[in-house]
Amino acid sequence: MSFVWRKRWFMLLFPLLLAVTFWQIRVETDLNAFFTATDDEDSRLLSGLLKSGELSRRYLLVVEKAEQPSSAGETSPSASPVSLAVFSARLVRQLAKLDDVEQAWSADEPPRDWVDAVASYAPYHARIFSLNPEQDGRELFDPAKLEARAEALKQALLSPQGGFVKAIAKQDPLLLSLNGFKDLQGQFQQQSKLGNGGALILQSRPAALDSEAHTRLQAAIRVSFDSLNAESGGSFRLSMAGVPVFSVAAQSEISQDVTLVSVVSSVAVALVFIFLFHSFSALHWVMMVQGASFVIGTLATALAFEHVHSLTLALGASLIGISSDYPIHVMVHCAKHRNTPLSAVRLLWPSLLMGGLTTVIGYGALGFTGFPGFEQIAVFALASIAGSLGLTRWVLPALLAHSSLHSAHLPGIAAWVDFCGRHRKMLLGLFAVSVVLAGLCLPQIRWMDDMQKLAVDMDLLKKQDAAVRSHFSSIEPGRFVLIQADDMETALRRSEAAERRLKALKQAGVVSEYHGLFPWLVSEKLQAENAGVYDQALTPEFQNAWREGLTKADLSLDKLGRLLPAAAEPLRSAAVLDSPVRHILSGQMMTGQNSVILSLWLGEHDPDKLAEGLAGLEGTRYFSQKDQLDHLAGKYRDRSLVMLGIGIAVMALFIWLQQRDMRKVLLTLLPSVASVLFIFATWALMGEEVSFLHVIGLLLSVSLCVDYGIFFIDNRGKDADVTYHAIASSTLTTLASFGALGLGKTPTLPILALSVSLGVTLGFLLCPLLIQKPTNQ
Amino acid sequence: MKRGLCWLLALWPLLGIADEAVLTELLARIRQNGQAQFRYEETRTLELAASPWHGEGYMLSAADGSLVKLQLQPSRVIMAIAEQRMYYWDSAQNQRHSAPLGSAGPAAEQITVFRSILQGRSEELQATYDFAAEKQGKQWILRLTPKPDLNDQDAPAIEISGDEEDKQRRILIRQADGESTEYRMVKTAEALQQEYSIQRLLLEAMGE
Repeated sequence: MSFVWRKRWFMLLFPLLLAVTFWQIRVETDLNAFFTATDDEDSRLLSGLLKSGELSRRYLLVVEKAEQPSSAGETSPSASPVSLAVFSARLVRQLAKLDDVEQAWSADEPPRDWVDAVASYAPYHARIFSLNPEQDGRELFDPAKLEARAEALKQALLSPQGGFVKAIAKQDPLLLSLNGFKDLQGQFQQQSKLGNGGALILQSRPAALDSEAHTRLQAAIRVSFDSLNAESGGSFRLSMAGVPVFSVAAQSEISQDVTLVSVVSSVAVALVFIFLFHSFSALHWVMMVQGASFVIGTLATALAFEHVHSLTLALGASLIGISSDYPIHVMVHCAKHRNTPLSAVRLLWPSLLMGGLTTVIGYGALGFTGFPGFEQIAVFALASIAGSLGLTRWVLPALLAHSSLHSAHLPGIAAWVDFCGRHRKMLLGLFAVSVVLAGLCLPQIRWMDDMQKLAVDMDLLKKQDAAVRSHFSSIEPGRFVLIQADDMETALRRSEAAERRLKALKQAGVVSEYHGLFPWLVSEKLQAENAGVYDQALTPEFQNAWREGLTKADLSLDKLGRLLPAAAEPLRSAAVLDSPVRHILSGQMMTGQNSVILSLWLGEHDPDKLAEGLAGLEGTRYFSQKDQLDHLAGKYRDRSLVMLGIGIAVMALFIWLQQRDMRKVLLTLLPSVASVLFIFATWALMGEEVSFLHVIGLLLSVSLCVDYGIFFIDNRGKDADVTYHAIASSTLTTLASFGALGLGKTPTLPILALSVSLGVTLGFLLCPLLIQKPTNQ
Repeated sequence: MKRGLCWLLALWPLLGIADEAVLTELLARIRQNGQAQFRYEETRTLELAASPWHGEGYMLSAADGSLVKLQLQPSRVIMAIAEQRMYYWDSAQNQRHSAPLGSAGPAAEQITVFRSILQGRSEELQATYDFAAEKQGKQWILRLTPKPDLNDQDAPAIEISGDEEDKQRRILIRQADGESTEYRMVKTAEALQQEYSIQRLLLEAMGE
């Protein structure tokens, strides 16, 4: 095909491709999808909890009296003073109406539907009254205490809760069902001691990490608050905490990073390019080739995955620098040798192809590190590098047909090559000593075990979170007791055994509080035990003592005097989960195809003592989200190291297939492998904590540096200075693009920037030292 | 006969005006501004009680809208509303509750209604009730009937009665489920009002 038609096709297909990509792409903002793997049960659990866990979807809101402005003119004179309790109650009503809000309530009062749900347990009172029926039965069914119980019932009927108590007492005169819910009442009483009416809880509908939905919801919460506050003369202020607050903040930081990295990376590569070739025309065409490669990568990712993550696009932007390496090599050879672009690209094609292949291997290995986001980046890289290579080979010569190219002379390049040549022996000796010393340093490497250090730094938000949480009796969102079983009945029995232990641990001060499932859900075995104790206690003497108590308390014998035997049928868990109680327990239950997982929420606790206290309970363990994340960090790191080794081995294999010379294979790989060794040793000496991201960065740098070895050994232009100039030029563009990642606030990006930049710089400098300068012909 | 009917029709609007005037007068009469203290006797008819229950004590009402019901017989119980929050303290049973009025359900609604009645905040009741006033000699009665189109099926019917001198007042609250509460209240003299302090009783109810 003629150059003119190649150019025309390119100009026609590029916008078309762009349009298809825009039509096809769905950008993902959910951080969970990028960061959390789901390849084992615990990871799936963690991912599920982060995505839809009840506590993860919960906002903690605190309304407080604002400092009154000194100038009276600043408050609305017409506004009447409103108490905090009234304002909070109004705000709760407003918030409950928002679309993405499942429920909103004051922290010191159970939501209305919880109270109604408690009343619905009255018919099953004899089956659910205690977790330890034998032990509690002695106190509950002591005939000597029935007189006091009857008097207490009367006082309860006269109290503000009279209506609620009456509905229960008609079916459960001894109020046994309320005995089971005593702990629940205790939780709210504890909260009311802490708060002054301004502590509110909002249960949202969207998954915690769906930051788009939560950005909308947080804005709606602010609007509701501001409008009510304006009516009240601006006397209040609102603080928010909860996992969604962090996810929105992190998303905002990442969005800023994506924009910053993309813009700076593109501008930096363009400036380096202008500096190298002094040609806006060439820049324009090469940028179009890179743009097309980026679009090809994006489209391939959009087709291979349901969504393209915004972080994939940010890291993909850095590929602009890498995929511009191929046109740069062609252009340097064109400029230096006064070749046509077509002859230059034909000359360099085998090296370009092998260079591209090793880079793709590096990125491909990323996809197997277990880090889900990198699977996308691997596909993105594969497609965009293939696109860039293809366009360089078949389209670039047509685009550059009329461009005039002048390659800049980079100072020091030739001098460094000459210096290496002249002092090779001494430098190689120095290199050998350095390798030995670096090897000795390796055992000192400190591995990063805390995945939190890779999260966006949000100190201010953490302080605000702590301030808000101080108004609530705390249940920790990330640590709980996990119960697993094949069926619900077994799971409930295990959960009840765990709750008995937790009760003892609470008394011992190991845990401040816990939220179990009893008596919302009670195993049929425990129900039978309760019913047995109850029926046994229900002797004629007991019935008489109860009636005497009622008579003394002046209560109706007709309506309360007959204590019926326990309900014949147990309260089935399936029936409970068909009722509104399902919503109350939704955050504590997960049912799979063949398993049931229950979680018991914990307040402040001592993890070691708690885990020790639960030891020996079948299917029960202490689960810490943080420990799980740290475990994942360790797993990713081990896989990254394995993939680093495999990546290098596969690159060696492909180079050997092309060269059929083991010495050349080793020489090609040596600069990049040596630079990895030196970088690891430097980190070990500096005490830098090395994470799987550092290793991944080095894997990328190897895949890029190997290209330099390939170009330097191949030396297809038969001019080592020109080849090294071309390598220097591509190193500069790689540094420009990966350096831009260093500006990101998400710690992932600077780590990658540092690893890759150090790797390519060192690899570039070691090339002429380790590989003897090819003879110019 | 025809003439009588004509007179009745002609005077009918005036009768309406007369009713309105009585209502306005009674609403003004029951409005309680400033601090006040009443000695009360309470009779409650409960569905689950064998016979009506009697209690007595003091009601203390403050200018800021706080209300304390101090029950002294048969046992000491404090029920209070302050800052839009309800407090309950039964020292004999060691039962203490507190809840914001807006979210505490029917129990808090009843107390809120009672406060509106006692402090004469008729505007708070107008959304829920139709008002009817009656005056016979020195006696007057104000009847509050839940509006027929009201969603709240549990709203009680209320009857407030008193005399010209306004020293005694009777409040009868009939619940939709048949239970009722009757308060007979007598305003106490200034000197006796020193005996109990709203603030102290509130703190006791709050457990502070």
